[in-house]
Amino acid sequence: MSFSLATPATPDEAFEFLAQDPEATAILAGGTDLLLDLEEGLVRPRTVVSLRRLPWREIRWNGPRLTIGSLAPLADLEADAGLRRRLPSLAKAIHAVGSLALRHRATLGGNLGRASPASDLIPLLLVLDARLSLVRRGDRRELRLDEFIVGSRRTALAAGELIESVTIPAPLPSEYLWQRVRLANDISQVGVAVARGTTTSAWRIALGGVTPRSVRLPSAEKLLGPGLPAPLAMELAAQEAAQRAPFTTDKRATEAYRRRLVYVLVKRAVAAVAASADALPETPSPSRTAKKSVPAKARSTSAR
Amino acid sequence: MHGLRGDPAGGRIARDVEAVTRRDAAAKLRGTAEFGTDLEAPGMVWGALVGSTVAHGRLRRLDLEPARRLPGVVAVVGPSELAGLLPSGKRDAERPVFPESILRYRHEPVAAVAARTLAEARAAARAVRVEVDPLPVVSEIEDVFPEWPGEEGPRSPHVIAHVRANHGDVDGGFARAEFVHREVYRTNGVHQVALEPHACLAEVNDTTWKVTTSTQTPFGVREDTAEILGLKEDQLVVDGSWVGGGFGGKAAAFLEPYALVLARACRKPVRLALTYREEFELGRTTLPSIVWLDTAVRGGKMTARRVRLLLDAGASLPGRDFATGYAIAFLLGPYEVPAFELEGYALRTNKPPFGPHRAPLAPQTAFIGESHIDSIARRLGRDPIDFRLAHVWSEGSTTPLGQKVGPFGAAEALRRAGRLAALWRKGLKPHQGVGVGVGFWGTGVGAGGEALLRLTADDLSVLQVEHDIGNGSVVVGLPAVAERVLGLPSGTVRVLTADTASAPYDSGVFGSRTVAALGQAVEKAAQQIGTTLAKRMGVRAKVRLEVERGQFFAVAGAKRVAVRELLTPDERRGGGLVVRDRHYGKPGTIDDARVREGTFYAYHDFAASVHLAQVEVDRETGAVRVMRATAFPDVGTILDPEMVRSQVEGAVVMGLGTALSEETLWGPDGRMLNPGLLDYRIPTLGDVPPIEVDPVEGFAGAGPFGLKGLGEPPIIPVPAAVANAVADATGARVTELPLTAERVARALKLL
Repeated sequence: MSFSLATPATPDEAFEFLAQDPEATAILAGGTDLLLDLEEGLVRPRTVVSLRRLPWREIRWNGPRLTIGSLAPLADLEADAGLRRRLPSLAKAIHAVGSLALRHRATLGGNLGRASPASDLIPLLLVLDARLSLVRRGDRRELRLDEFIVGSRRTALAAGELIESVTIPAPLPSEYLWQRVRLANDISQVGVAVARGTTTSAWRIALGGVTPRSVRLPSAEKLLGPGLPAPLAMELAAQEAAQRAPFTTDKRATEAYRRRLVYVLVKRAVAAVAASADALPETPSPSRTAKKSVPAKARSTSAR
Repeated sequence: MHGLRGDPAGGRIARDVEAVTRRDAAAKLRGTAEFGTDLEAPGMVWGALVGSTVAHGRLRRLDLEPARRLPGVVAVVGPSELAGLLPSGKRDAERPVFPESILRYRHEPVAAVAARTLAEARAAARAVRVEVDPLPVVSEIEDVFPEWPGEEGPRSPHVIAHVRANHGDVDGGFARAEFVHREVYRTNGVHQVALEPHACLAEVNDTTWKVTTSTQTPFGVREDTAEILGLKEDQLVVDGSWVGGGFGGKAAAFLEPYALVLARACRKPVRLALTYREEFELGRTTLPSIVWLDTAVRGGKMTARRVRLLLDAGASLPGRDFATGYAIAFLLGPYEVPAFELEGYALRTNKPPFGPHRAPLAPQTAFIGESHIDSIARRLGRDPIDFRLAHVWSEGSTTPLGQKVGPFGAAEALRRAGRLAALWRKGLKPHQGVGVGVGFWGTGVGAGGEALLRLTADDLSVLQVEHDIGNGSVVVGLPAVAERVLGLPSGTVRVLTADTASAPYDSGVFGSRTVAALGQAVEKAAQQIGTTLAKRMGVRAKVRLEVERGQFFAVAGAKRVAVRELLTPDERRGGGLVVRDRHYGKPGTIDDARVREGTFYAYHDFAASVHLAQVEVDRETGAVRVMRATAFPDVGTILDPEMVRSQVEGAVVMGLGTALSEETLWGPDGRMLNPGLLDYRIPTLGDVPPIEVDPVEGFAGAGPFGLKGLGEPPIIPVPAAVANAVADATGARVTELPLTAERVARALKLL
């Protein structure tokens, strides 16, 4: 394994490096996944462009709209009091990734750009309707996350393009549940994200770890109807979710067990979101640190 | 010394030895302790191994030329090169350095290279062309025997060991049974996962072959390597480095022969270390087993038992029928039974060779035996602990193979576990359960060892060959034995470590034997010092030592003499008072009339290990969370309470991995599917519950002061206790290790 490492200081410098040898360039945005592939020889780039000196790590609220710089380390995000208070499901999903040591390195953009089928963040960001701001020299475009992830470890990122930020239009009552063989530092066998839209009241369900590409499950979502679902509707939606997606068997779980987990976790996640339906997202988090460190201005901002 | 037998109430030993500071702590915290992966020498080059590309095949052609042409390469060695490098002595045909024809497992080393940098060495290893005609792969036990074999079993070419034993009227026992409880259990492979991979540094000159290596057994490496390379043992010097965890994985030669051959070929020091991926792919691990258990029950007692074992031995099994007999005897547990029949096969498959893992196969066999006895108790409606107490050995019991049981603390430990279980049950919520596991162990006090103690005016040291493997048995345990014999405060006796050319022989830091067996040699040598000094002082009383301002004094009654005055002029001038002693244990005897075929093991002493675990089971997903665990180790005597605690805690953590998450996975082509720590899951801190230790003292073992070895026993009952707690919580019996959530879900009929 040998490659040259470029550490551009500005986006423009980065675009220059990316343009030189686009076919044989790997982007390093934390490296917790890429380095494994390099070590295993699964990728053999001539150039690795490290983004660690680029600025994109801000967490910015604009009314209900949340924009997170793609290079924000996951540990910074899970520690962010505003995020924990206003969008606790995302803080929880981030906390579920790897170990704390890993989360100091790993970035949000890196997680999305690597497009792992077992990502703990993609399912939740799908139900939160996240959008990605993609930049390349003199050019910028916005893509919905479901347009961006096109397959297992495949994205719509064009050659020479970088993820600048991720935007969530508004916090929603939402939940992320997962199962693994062990508590920490493990890959989820199944991840289930559920959110309830506040304007349309429509339910959204997405799965991770079961299909090559994380997907929403419209047929199961529909069964939950517009309002608070009855227990029977939850049961039917969970069954539908467990039957619908094209599940895989691998060394982490069999297809049958994944279906079982999806059934159980969808039921639990929907119930949790339904139970919190009146508790709107701006409800203060029980975390004391969150209360202390959030300025009054941020606290008064409406989440809707 | 061993007058502590029997009575747990009367035989308690006061905890008069306070915890000591780990003598290796400073070097390890400062990073100055040299582990195998730190070894360096001037002019050193790097080695790498070339592995088989198939799990089974015939080597058609090995083309080393492409590697030789690469930059930085200084040695490329395959089977054809060996004759020119090694003396003409007879090499062990069973263990060729490199196979000449048949390749038996994937990544089996077929050649080795050395180069100036690690990257160049790896590139050269990749450049070697290995051409193989593939042969059919036997990757699982079922590939050999899809079910328990009949008469034809022993004739299978895959059988490398076949053991049988029986006693009593088995057929009659089953015929008269009120019911027969039949179960089939499976276990999967577990890896030692020492933090430090195997690593060594070889240096060869005209007279000496020397290898410095991270090993639990320098003398064992010398013996193995000499046999493999056809060297005389005294041509070979083995020096140990600090060991970053062994757990049985470093208890035999492994990389040393390859490194030595490379060093001989290039006449430079060669460092050879495995990557962590190679640790898994080449690992000498515990491998899968399938066990059939039938037990006849009458009048609330087990009256006859039939046990059949198929053991996946991989490409080879050290000790073969010894190992198989050793494992199968554990399946009956520490319980009396009037009639039994055991039969077991070890099967050669195309996996890497089988290797020991902390209490080899005992956690697996205890899981099986203890799950079985638990489910019989439940079927009878009996309390599982009471049912065990009705059968469990105590001193004077007879083992199934006819050995008399020595002092054994199982019943006392079970009674304590029963009292604690009753307390735990009071607070139990739905889906929570409490389980007990019982194991036993014969501490490896049989393997021999010698100790050399040296007393000068201002120093007392123990010289021996092994570095500590991390558990403190060498750096804390051995000096503590000498200190206790001579009445010295802890921290006053030093441990010196030397290579096999200088240190006295010892068989190794394994088998829970360091303090228990080598400690006996230290104990006797320290007693010799005491008697020698007494003679020189002209006293009959026992002599103890004191240290004052760095000087040693001998004290007997009111008499106190500086050691300087008691040394002879030669001793004062030279090396001090040097004493050596040895311990070569003699095991008890089994009843040979009960052995039909193979080898069965006679124990030196009997250590019980009883654990209690409380779990919570997610009834919808099968996920198991261990909430707490308490161990009741049968320790004989406590030499150092902190060592007891740390050994037990470490063993519980390791055992939880075997219980819940660790398993080596293999494809039908013999490829390991999870060769890394991502998908071979050892517990993380978050998976570990609070662990309590309640040692059972007073049942003397064979070790110094009546202590019993403690490295292995506390891991043995962990999977059993967890599995029984899961059964208690759910009513469902999981019959395969590890108890992953998916297996529990299947047992709960959720899928």
